[in-house]
Amino acid sequence: MTITPADRQAIFTRRNLFGATAAGLAATSLGACATSGGDDEADEVTVGDDAENPFGVDGSAPLDVVIFDGGFGQEYAVAHQAMYNEAFPDAEITSLATQQIGETQQPRFAEGKPADVLDNSGASQLPMDSLVSDGELAELTPLLDAPSYDDPEVTVGDTLREGVLKAGTFNGKVYALNYVFNAWTIWYDAKLFRDQGWTPPTTWDEMIALCPTIQAAGIAPWTYAGQHPVYLYDMYLMLAGRHGGVQVLKDIDNLVADAWSNPSLVAAAEALRNLGDSGYLLSGSAGIDHIQSQTAFNNNEAAFLPCGSWLPNEQKAIAPEGFEYAPMGVPYLEGSVQPGLISAGGDEPFVVPKNATNLAGAYEYLRIMLSQEGSQIFSDAVSAATIVKGVELENETARMTDALVQNPEDMFQPQFRYWYKKMDDEMRPALGQLINAETTAQEFLDRMQSVADEVAADDTIEKFTHED
Amino acid sequence: MKHGRYPFILSFLALPVGLYAWLVILPFAQAFQISLTDWSGSTNTFNYIGFDNYANLFKDDRLVIPALQHTGIILVVLPVVTIALGLFFAFMLNLGGRSRQGRIEGVRGSRFHKIVFFFPQVLSVAIIGILWKQVYAPENFGGLITGALTAVGLPAPANGFLADKRFVLAAVIGVLVWSAVGFYLVFFSSAMASIPRDLYEAGIIDGAGRFQMFFKITLPLLWDSVQTAWIYLSIVALDVFVLVYMMTPERGGPDAASEVVGGVIWKYAFNDGEQAFASAIGVVLFFAALTLAVVSLRFGPRERIEY
Repeated sequence: MTITPADRQAIFTRRNLFGATAAGLAATSLGACATSGGDDEADEVTVGDDAENPFGVDGSAPLDVVIFDGGFGQEYAVAHQAMYNEAFPDAEITSLATQQIGETQQPRFAEGKPADVLDNSGASQLPMDSLVSDGELAELTPLLDAPSYDDPEVTVGDTLREGVLKAGTFNGKVYALNYVFNAWTIWYDAKLFRDQGWTPPTTWDEMIALCPTIQAAGIAPWTYAGQHPVYLYDMYLMLAGRHGGVQVLKDIDNLVADAWSNPSLVAAAEALRNLGDSGYLLSGSAGIDHIQSQTAFNNNEAAFLPCGSWLPNEQKAIAPEGFEYAPMGVPYLEGSVQPGLISAGGDEPFVVPKNATNLAGAYEYLRIMLSQEGSQIFSDAVSAATIVKGVELENETARMTDALVQNPEDMFQPQFRYWYKKMDDEMRPALGQLINAETTAQEFLDRMQSVADEVAADDTIEKFTHED
Repeated sequence: MKHGRYPFILSFLALPVGLYAWLVILPFAQAFQISLTDWSGSTNTFNYIGFDNYANLFKDDRLVIPALQHTGIILVVLPVVTIALGLFFAFMLNLGGRSRQGRIEGVRGSRFHKIVFFFPQVLSVAIIGILWKQVYAPENFGGLITGALTAVGLPAPANGFLADKRFVLAAVIGVLVWSAVGFYLVFFSSAMASIPRDLYEAGIIDGAGRFQMFFKITLPLLWDSVQTAWIYLSIVALDVFVLVYMMTPERGGPDAASEVVGGVIWKYAFNDGEQAFASAIGVVLFFAALTLAVVSLRFGPRERIEY
């Protein structure tokens, strides 16, 4: 918004002071700061023949990268940028590493001047569903179709692990590159189990049978980050999905009528409720955050903790001597038809805004990230795997996780959490109440069914479905 | 010289008024405009959808309705409790002590108490939030209150006060009162200091007790201050956000049990990508605050007592 000299003239005569101010406000508010950005036609990027520079990057064009400075830090991004500069020495790279993705980037989108590459992650990430339905993101198809950095005969898309693009796919179109490979698992201390002579349970009944033994050792069987029930999502959903097969979970995401009354969801809800009801949760769990729950886990105050693959890396500096982080799939219920099902795939969504100034550069930057070298840089820096195939895993925990995700058929990431914010907002508190036995399984399912019905009936919400 | 006066004054006013218009009035006006659109906040295109956001506002019983209820409760409880406690403490510290040789004084150590009560005022809200989060924590995780309750054999919520739907709002209000009461204690103290002592001495001679002195002399003469405090505290009540954000699970939980209007605006604007809907709530809050201010100023002034 600018005040022109003419406005100033009109406003600052005494008689017109009020009138002109009011008029000025009315006029400026119609085209004022937050909502006045121009809507430029976005450029299209096509894949050319040059394998070295398939997107036709202008080597002198600056590149604007925004990195979420969370658990993975920004060290790896600096190295990726060095690789980009090696290829394009004249390109000036602006890099911002921040935890405030939403606070810093939302105004830029509103202005129509977003970054070129954005790591849209963390607690204040911009909601993917509205970015997609607002048409603010560029499709990543050109990137996936381009020749890969290391081998021009293979496309970038073919260098990736199977199924990792699902998380960034909205109605069949890939809008986000979830760069980090993550699995949601149940964690235990392998050393503790060895010392106590406990066998890590594979079935729910084994787990329940083990709980009194664990308690007898003065340890609570379970804890979780009660203030963030999101940590229970995949424990509950995989428990149900293993029991009834992945279709149960796809039906939820696809907003199929009565999806929540599936018997497998009922069984899983009752199992989860039973945990809290039997007193198998560490006392006070509902009132603690993820740091406290992980600390309690590190101190062997609780035997099992649901968390993602980043846990060992996150605890690296504070893990007690001898603690062995070991992941396992959620113990499955009796009669499970797909006991290997696991919530695994890409995480840490990198997006390219449609109005990015240097669209070609952004694609090229992602292509560099997905090269063997770029992927190795990431793995070395944070000891977590990327979605690129064939990178050596040195870490024991990473290998154990890898063993859990061998079958691509069994990999599935429930999506309603990302697709429908409204369902997410309902699911979190509902899960928290369920595991603490504050509601019945039926009340929980009714609640989720009614919000699913609401979302399905709301025409203003853009709907997404799984392809298969 | 009259001719040149207005340009002179205006030249001084131009900058502050301009800044005020640009940074305060304009964003307000724009909130009205945005509330009539479907703007998500992260795009530069939007459509005008009339008053749909306002119509949907009162149908949202997941966040908005609880938030309005909770803010309403805070709006009533916070000023009443804070002012009552502030007045009580101020009275005790200034006039509540034994009268020695006909002189009226506060209780012993009143200056020390004044300073101690004022402490919370010098802490930033963020620190207060972190501090009290720990105080309210589950017993197993070092919670002070839960630990103390169990130590004397009383029941305490196993998951701490903030994770319990029944207590979380009261817990937040408790912190608000705790952090505000010191300021109003000092505020009322200085007002009480200006009440002539002979009024009290006359009261004592006529056989009035402390109770009567407070209600018949102190309170009527402090009415202006009480009113000012009321308006300030109402504004604080409408503005509760940081504590809820800092302390409660899921920033307003558990299960929306501590949602307040400010927090819901933030959630819709920045978490849910519904900037327009958030603006509509903001507009409603704006009018609520405006009404409140007008009402309290209208019904405010009583006859001034000169002394």
